[in-house]
Amino acid sequence: MGHQISRRTLFRSASGIAAAGALGTSLSACSGGTGAGSTNSDLTMIWWGSDDRHAAYKKVLAAFRKKNPKIKIRPTYSGYDGYFDKFNTNIAGGSAPDLLQMDTALVAQYARKGVLAPIDSYVGKSLDLTGFSKTLLAAGTVDGKLYGVPSGIGVNQLTVNRTGLEKLGLELPDREWTWADLKKIGTDVHKKSGGKIYGVDDGGGSTLQCFEVFARENGETFFTEDGKKLGFTPDTLQAWWEYWAEMRKVNASPPPAITSAAHNDLTKNAVVIGKALFTFDSGVYGAGGSITDAQLDFLPTPQGDFSGAREGNFVNGGVLLSATKASKKVADSVKIMSYFAQDATAIKDMQLLRGIPPTEKARGLIASGLTETDKLNMANADYVAQRVGRASDALAAPAPPPQGADQIWDLLFQSNLAVAFGKKSIKAQLGAFFDQSAGILEG
Amino acid sequence: MTTAKSDEAVEEQAAPVTPSDRRERDRMRRRLARRRGGGWWPYAFLAPWFVGLFGLTVYPMLASLYLSFTDFDLLTPARWVGVDNYDKMFTEDPVFWDSVHATLLYVVVSVPLKLALALGVAMLLNRDLRGIGLYRAAFYLPSLLGGAVAVAIVWRQVFGGDGLFNDFLAWFGIEGQDWISSPDTAIYTLILLAVWQFGTPMVIFLAGLKQLPKDVYEAAAIDGVTPVTRFFRITLPLLTPIVFFNVVLQIIDAFKTFTPAFVISNGSGGPLNSTMLYSLYLYKKGFTDLQMGYASALAWVLFLVIAGFTAVNFIAGRYWVHYDD
Repeated sequence: MGHQISRRTLFRSASGIAAAGALGTSLSACSGGTGAGSTNSDLTMIWWGSDDRHAAYKKVLAAFRKKNPKIKIRPTYSGYDGYFDKFNTNIAGGSAPDLLQMDTALVAQYARKGVLAPIDSYVGKSLDLTGFSKTLLAAGTVDGKLYGVPSGIGVNQLTVNRTGLEKLGLELPDREWTWADLKKIGTDVHKKSGGKIYGVDDGGGSTLQCFEVFARENGETFFTEDGKKLGFTPDTLQAWWEYWAEMRKVNASPPPAITSAAHNDLTKNAVVIGKALFTFDSGVYGAGGSITDAQLDFLPTPQGDFSGAREGNFVNGGVLLSATKASKKVADSVKIMSYFAQDATAIKDMQLLRGIPPTEKARGLIASGLTETDKLNMANADYVAQRVGRASDALAAPAPPPQGADQIWDLLFQSNLAVAFGKKSIKAQLGAFFDQSAGILEG
Repeated sequence: MTTAKSDEAVEEQAAPVTPSDRRERDRMRRRLARRRGGGWWPYAFLAPWFVGLFGLTVYPMLASLYLSFTDFDLLTPARWVGVDNYDKMFTEDPVFWDSVHATLLYVVVSVPLKLALALGVAMLLNRDLRGIGLYRAAFYLPSLLGGAVAVAIVWRQVFGGDGLFNDFLAWFGIEGQDWISSPDTAIYTLILLAVWQFGTPMVIFLAGLKQLPKDVYEAAAIDGVTPVTRFFRITLPLLTPIVFFNVVLQIIDAFKTFTPAFVISNGSGGPLNSTMLYSLYLYKKGFTDLQMGYASALAWVLFLVIAGFTAVNFIAGRYWVHYDD
């Protein structure tokens, strides 16, 4: 055909080169970065949250800067998705932020890896923690050292669509309610709504807000104190999953497709899409700003009835503010933490956007300006905190969870889903769950 | 390749070389090299490329090979653990096998469908119609958009429980389900998304079709060959080098798919790991679970698997790829 290069050679080599190129990128895409550290002299700060929370943070920081013109702050904020992925990458690349909003669930992991700066030496000097209770500070305390200032009180609670409940002619359950009560009202919702709405989103795979409370009622914890093992028995988990299998069977809880769609996606939450009236996901309201138009109300996690029934609820620390060890501006970061904790305007601007304020004084400051839903939220948190404080048999608040905890929580979610989809029997999944958890905790 | 080699051999035999000839040739070469400039400065021009090659490809690859034998967690220094990562992967990580299963299913189903569609549409577009350029652009468009996060988000909406696809089914009285949150169907929405992005192989097929010799078709027309026979006896055999090219590239691409799986499952690979494509698992291990050593090991296994598939393709290609020389 008169070509200089035969088509054979052309395509052979083209395929070869293209293949080699395509292959190479798959590898180099995944190796440790060595980015240079930031030379910028601003103090960098990151947080996650809703738009309302972003606005409040910015307002407080602006006020702080007026009082401390020497400290220049460069904030970055996002949703929770990818927040810690990015943080990890920044640390590996040597460009860690100076100050960050930290998750109580992850603080131990980062503290033990030497990422966070201990801040005990500032307490009582530039860090004013007057009015913070010991149990609250435990949320930021790892191996006896303080690595973060809790933003407020977090309790386990259900968020309830009260408007929806009233429309069906049902009453809000009493706060002293049991798991059996939850089943009863869930079934009623389904019946009264003509099968259109289920009662409560599937809690079988929900950990912090849900199963942990149940395990604590039995005198068991999610993780052992040293974080090396699971603190509960297969029997407890079996009873739990059987309860939720029953809940799905009587339509008190939605089928697995709805549960699955809501995983990591608040906008698909069963209450948000109108498929349930009760949810364990505090994010529906707790992240600040409501995601539905309905009037929401709040209830403590139910307990009792088919267990040992000691007090299972507990109080933890909302979110934390932590400084990184690599930062040269820890002293400045601590000043900012202290400002958020004690300054009257900062507290008023933040409202409940980072949880119920941590001190008696702070709660008094915001009490008058709250919205109706905020008031209900705070009333419930107060109730739970008081009940936990009164209880003689309650276990101590859980220690910060160990490394791999989030993998195990995800495993719990997936396991419950496997049972719900009918892919595995409860017995078979129990075995798999305990095996895999042990593997994760061993590292 | 074999023909090329034997050609050279023939040439050398044809011209016997004496020692004086050789000396003359060497002198000539040196002179030419001097005249062309030689020296270092061509390398200076190439330097940016070298920096890219070594800094962004070779070094990271070697680093990841080293890290795959460590327990590197991004935050603390890496510690040598030998082949532990590889051992763990094959013996005690069920999610690894879930991801292998999901990925193989994805590759095996999506690649043939995508290529068949690409070839079919390329043949339809290989005509002299008015406004044909517009049609071609329209069919190519999804590929331009395809890798984008936005499209994956749209996909999630379309195949969600209250999405467009179920509205469409409702016209025919069929009650849909939430395709993305059911473990039996989720992966097929990803496959569909991949198939929909058939534009790139289509353009390559189109270029190949344009090159096919017209005289063969004229001869076939005179002999009264039916279109089906024409396709299987003429078009396809002549096109095999291009089919081969597309097969190799699409398989590699499919193995590396990440974005749609990440977006559609919200980064979870769910439901029940059914959309846990290998790259997504690798990313999760490295950046979410802080097991960069393990993730590096996963990357090398992927590299070897893709290299294996590609090698098999090249070997098998000898039996079905026809070149016209």
